[in-house]
Amino acid sequence: MRFTPTELTQEELDLQQEVREFLAEELPPGSHEPCLGMAARKDKDFSLKMAARGWVGMALPKEWGGSDRTAVDRFIVVEEMLRWGAPVGHHWVGDRQTGNVILKFGTEEQRERFLPAICRGELGFSIGMSEPDSGSDLASVSTKAERASDGWIINGTKIWTSGAHENDWFVCLLRTSPMEDGNKHAGLSQILIDLRSPGLEISPIPFLDGSHHFNEVTFNEVFVPDTNVVGDLGMGWHQNTTEMAYERGGPDRWLSPFSTVEQLLREARGTELEDTVADLFGELAARWWGIRNLSLSVARLIDTGEAPSVESSLVKEMGTRFEQEVVEKLVHLIDLEYSPDSESLFERLLAQCVVTFPGNTIRGGTIEILRSVASKGLKGLPT
Amino acid sequence: MTDPVHVDPLVTETADRLFSEICGHEAVQLAETRGEAPEIWNAFADTGFPWVSIDEAAGGSGGSLLDALEVLRVVGYHAAPIPAAETGILGGWLLASSGQELPAGIVTVVPNGGSELRGSVSGDELTVSGRALRVPWARVAERIVVPLEVDGQTVVASIDVEDCHVEPMTNMAGEPRDTVDFDEVHVPVAPTESGIDLEAFRFRGALSRAALMAGAIEKMSQLTVSYTNDRVQFGRPVAKFQAVQQHLVWGAQDAALARMVAETAAREANRGAAQFEIAAAKLIANQAAARATKACHQAHGAMGMTQEYPLHHLSRRLWSWRKEYGGDAEWTKWLGKVAVSQGADQLYPLITGGSANFN
Repeated sequence: MRFTPTELTQEELDLQQEVREFLAEELPPGSHEPCLGMAARKDKDFSLKMAARGWVGMALPKEWGGSDRTAVDRFIVVEEMLRWGAPVGHHWVGDRQTGNVILKFGTEEQRERFLPAICRGELGFSIGMSEPDSGSDLASVSTKAERASDGWIINGTKIWTSGAHENDWFVCLLRTSPMEDGNKHAGLSQILIDLRSPGLEISPIPFLDGSHHFNEVTFNEVFVPDTNVVGDLGMGWHQNTTEMAYERGGPDRWLSPFSTVEQLLREARGTELEDTVADLFGELAARWWGIRNLSLSVARLIDTGEAPSVESSLVKEMGTRFEQEVVEKLVHLIDLEYSPDSESLFERLLAQCVVTFPGNTIRGGTIEILRSVASKGLKGLPT
Repeated sequence: MTDPVHVDPLVTETADRLFSEICGHEAVQLAETRGEAPEIWNAFADTGFPWVSIDEAAGGSGGSLLDALEVLRVVGYHAAPIPAAETGILGGWLLASSGQELPAGIVTVVPNGGSELRGSVSGDELTVSGRALRVPWARVAERIVVPLEVDGQTVVASIDVEDCHVEPMTNMAGEPRDTVDFDEVHVPVAPTESGIDLEAFRFRGALSRAALMAGAIEKMSQLTVSYTNDRVQFGRPVAKFQAVQQHLVWGAQDAALARMVAETAAREANRGAAQFEIAAAKLIANQAAARATKACHQAHGAMGMTQEYPLHHLSRRLWSWRKEYGGDAEWTKWLGKVAVSQGADQLYPLITGGSANFN
C-alpha cells in the first residue's frame, strides 16, 4: 500500500477551470438548492448539458462515445460537481461504474448498445446487489436466473434499489447456477435488465424522512435475453468486486457536506464570526485538503492500470466517517433549531445532513465490511 | 536551479539502512537513560545527512529540502534519538541564511515561544540575555542558535554552548529539552536574508515535526499490524477480530494521511510559498498522532504499556512532537483566519490550490 503524492498538470488545471466556469454559468450560487453529494437530484437536462461537454462517461474510449480521458480527469469533474451540489443523479451510476463494467466485461453488441447512450447522458442505471436476506454477506444472494430458450427467467427480490422508479436499466447480481458447498462465490452472474420488463414490479421503500429513493424490485418470471448477460457466466462475483473498486475512494465519499459548510460561510458574510466557528473553517479546510490528496492519488494509481482496492477502501472508510464528523461539528457549534423547512438555506442543508448522513457509512458497503477488506491488505514491519 | 519534485530514492534507502543497523529498540532505550547517543549521531554525521539542503558553499551537503525532509521522516520512523532537524533544516538553515559558519558538530536551536530572551545591538555586537526553554539536545550541542527580533530586524546569534548554562530537562519521550540561561553573551550581529524571520522559522519548525511524525506514525502502524498477527487469543491471531481490525485500519489511515500531507507540504516548501500546506500538515499530523497512538496502543493491550516493548518510543515522541512548533489550537486559528478571509466562493479553491491561492 502506498499513496504517492501527485498534483494536477496544467491541462488538468485547465479542465478544472472549465468546469468551474460551466458551473458558475449554469448554477450560480443562490440560484439553486445544492444537493448533498452523490445523493443528488436527477435532472436529465443537466446531465445532457454535461454530456455535451464530454463530461459523462469521459474515461470511456472515443470509439464508444467517450472522451478517452483519465480517471484523474473524471475525478476533477466529479469533485467540482459535488462541491457545487450539482444535480448529477441521473447519470451518476452509469458514469461511475456501469460504463466501466460494460467496457471491461461486455460484448461488442452491449458496448455499442449502451456506451454511446451513457456518454450522451441519456441512460439511468440502478444497481441490484442487496436482497432481503443478503446485505453485507453479498455472496449469499438467492435471486435466481434459470435457463430458458434464448434467455433466462428471473425470480426473486432485490431491495434498497436507488432510483429504480426513475431509471432505465438494472445491473443485477444473480445466481445462475445453484450454490455449491464451500464455494459461494461461484455461480453468480451479472445481468442487465430493462426496468420496464413485464413481471418486474417496483415498490417504494420510503426513506426515513419520507422521500423516495429506495425501492423493492420483485421479479416474477421476468424474461431476459441471453444478450443481456454481462461477461462470462459464473464470473459475476469477480466482476462485481472489480466494479466496487471504481465505486470506492472518490470525492463522493468525502465531499457530501461541503456545500453545507460553504453556505454557512456565505450566510455569515458581513457578520462577525465567533472564533470557534472561524476555527472550524480552518480545521475543515485542512482536513479536506489532506483527504483530497489521498483520494486524488488513488485516481492517479488507477490511471497507471492498478486496481487499488485496499487504498480505495481505506479512503472510503475514512471519508464517510469524516463526513459525519463534519456534521457533528456543525451541530455542536451552531446553536439554532434548524429544520428541513428553515428559511435559511444553510439550516435546511444542515437538517438534511443530520437526517440522511447516517447512511453515508452504510451505502456501497458498510464501514465494517470495508475494514475487513482493507485490513487484509495492511503490511506489518518489513522483514 | 532545477525544481526537484521527487526524493532521490538513494536518500531513503541509505538512511533507512543506517538506522536499521544502529538504531534498534535497545539503542533508543539506552539513549534515553544516558541522555545522549553519540554513536548514533556520529554514524549519522559521517553520511553528511545532517546538512542536506544546505549549500555546499555554506558548508552543507547540498541536496534539496525535499531530501532533507525525507531524511527526517526516516529519523522519525526509527525514533532515532538525535537532533537531526535542529542541526540541519532549522539551525543550519538559520546560520546559512545569516552568512555564518556551520560548525562540524551538533547544532541546536531555541524554538520560538515560551522563552524570555532579550537581544540588544551595539555597533557590530549583539548581546543575548535571558532564559530559553525546551531547547532540544542543548547539553550535547556545540553551538546554540538563537533567532531574535531586534530593532525590527531578524538576527541570528550563534552561541558557543560553553558560554551559557544548560540545565537538563526532557520531553515526554525522555529526549533532552533543556533549559538554557544566557547571561550577557556577546556575539557578532548577523541579520538574516530578507524573508527569513521568526514566522518563517515557526513554519519551518512545524514542517520538520510533520516529517518526523509521518515516519513515526507509519512505523507504529506497521508494528501494530505485525503484533496483532502474531498474538493469538481465542485460538486465532487477534488481527482476525473485527474489533481489532478497526484499530488496524484507523492506524493505517493516519499513517497514510500524515505521510501524504508531510510530503505534499515538503513539495510546496521546496518550491516556495507553502504556508497553507505547512499549517494544514502540522494540524493534520497532530490529529493523526492523537488518533493513531490511541488505536495502536489499544490494539497492543498491556504489552504496549511496557518499557520492554518498543511502541512507546514512537507514541511518546508523537505526543511530544504534537506540541512542538504549534499545537492544534495555534494552527487551527491560523488556518481559520485564512479560510474565513478567503470567503465562501474561494473556500474550495483554497482546498485545491493551497498557498498559490492567497497572499
